[in-house]
Amino acid sequence: MERRIALGEHGPHLWTRETARNIRVEFDPILEGLEEGGALVIDTKGVEVFDYSFANELFGRTILSIPREYPGRFVLVENLSKYARENLTKALEGMGLAMMERKGKAIGLIGKVHPTDQQTFAAVAKAGRSLTSSELAEKLEVNLNAMNERLSKLLGLGLIRRERATSPSGREQYEYSTFQ
Amino acid sequence: MLMTESLKKLDSVTFGSFLQDQRPLTQDPPTFDLRGYGLVTPAAVVQLAAICCGVSGQGRTPLILTEEGPARRYLVRCGFAAVVSEYARIEPAIGRLGTLGYQYRRGSSPMLVELTRIESGSALPELLDRVLWTLRYRLKYRKRDAFDVTTAVSEICQNTFDHNRGAAGFIAMQVYGKDTRRFLEVAVSDYGEGLGATLRRNPLNASVRTDMDAIQQATKLGTSEHDDPTRGTGLFHLLEITYKHEGTVQITSGRAKVRYRMDKRAGWGFSVPKVLGVHVSLTLPTKEAA
Repeated sequence: MERRIALGEHGPHLWTRETARNIRVEFDPILEGLEEGGALVIDTKGVEVFDYSFANELFGRTILSIPREYPGRFVLVENLSKYARENLTKALEGMGLAMMERKGKAIGLIGKVHPTDQQTFAAVAKAGRSLTSSELAEKLEVNLNAMNERLSKLLGLGLIRRERATSPSGREQYEYSTFQ
Repeated sequence: MLMTESLKKLDSVTFGSFLQDQRPLTQDPPTFDLRGYGLVTPAAVVQLAAICCGVSGQGRTPLILTEEGPARRYLVRCGFAAVVSEYARIEPAIGRLGTLGYQYRRGSSPMLVELTRIESGSALPELLDRVLWTLRYRLKYRKRDAFDVTTAVSEICQNTFDHNRGAAGFIAMQVYGKDTRRFLEVAVSDYGEGLGATLRRNPLNASVRTDMDAIQQATKLGTSEHDDPTRGTGLFHLLEITYKHEGTVQITSGRAKVRYRMDKRAGWGFSVPKVLGVHVSLTLPTKEAA
């Protein structure tokens, strides 16, 4: 399930943290109404530019709130103009954050993204089902500890979600998935 | 009109020595003597406006001495005389603009944004749209360059309201110079507590002892009054944009001034007479489309 916010309704040029704060007020009820696995999609169609402070407040603060206040929900951005993507990428890098960007049907990451994060996220997204850390470790040929660290980082950024499950042998385990 | 050698220049570089020489705040009334000055730039007028406003808030009415000439005409043309008339006395008194001669309204360099008092953060989006429009349609900037400059101006202006309680800001923007040496100058000043006092509200910045430390620290990513990962990026990004466009940024706060020459990606620090607030001027080579 996804709910959309049309950022372009607020104008083509979005300046200042204060403007972002006023728009972000709309996000909380939407995130509260989402079930686990659902996503808030920020559609930036029609937005030509926003400044760093706007990006920090709107995107940064929302991303930071997800793991703590709305675990298991996702935030995506789409239809970024070239300039808006450039500023959002720099803003996210400055905060040490990353987020999902949807282009057509493909979902990738923008912001401060290490190649190993990108690789792990892509593997989770491509699977189309929930995976355990052992399955992912095997798939990407890394040891289990390293995989657990990678997953923990992606989880902390709200890019994947984790659910309890039971293995075929009856042991409790965690499974990881992302927004499809 | 050609400038003569005898007329002095009051700009972002010379403003410190102007204060050093005149010590206006030690006089009663605080007196700024602009006689003998031929060229005044936006960086100087916004700083002068912020100081006048701050001093006026302390119950003193500053006096600005002028004489007939380009500097006095510029004070009228750039909006200074109108904005500052609430807080300061200009001598000889300046009449209403409509009653003044043509030369008071027209100069060799276009005033893109007249001296404007920014009352609150909510006034900024409209002002920034005006800056963007001016760059795009009066100066014919390419969209990307206009976005960069407006983003930089936005980050400077927001600092004023993020870190000051009850202190307004001033902005002015102008192009000057000729042919291949044409510059866009944007200046923003406030009369708040300054960067040092602001940063020290956050215990993480306890190492900030001097005004020079404060300026240098404030331009680093993540340094803020707030312990908040979404803060402390504005001045860092300002320097990045300035670097990209090979301009200069000058930041003055308290007793320190740092001039960043971004073609060399380095900053030079100077001691200046203590000033109220934070003053930032950004100078970029103009980017008019061919």
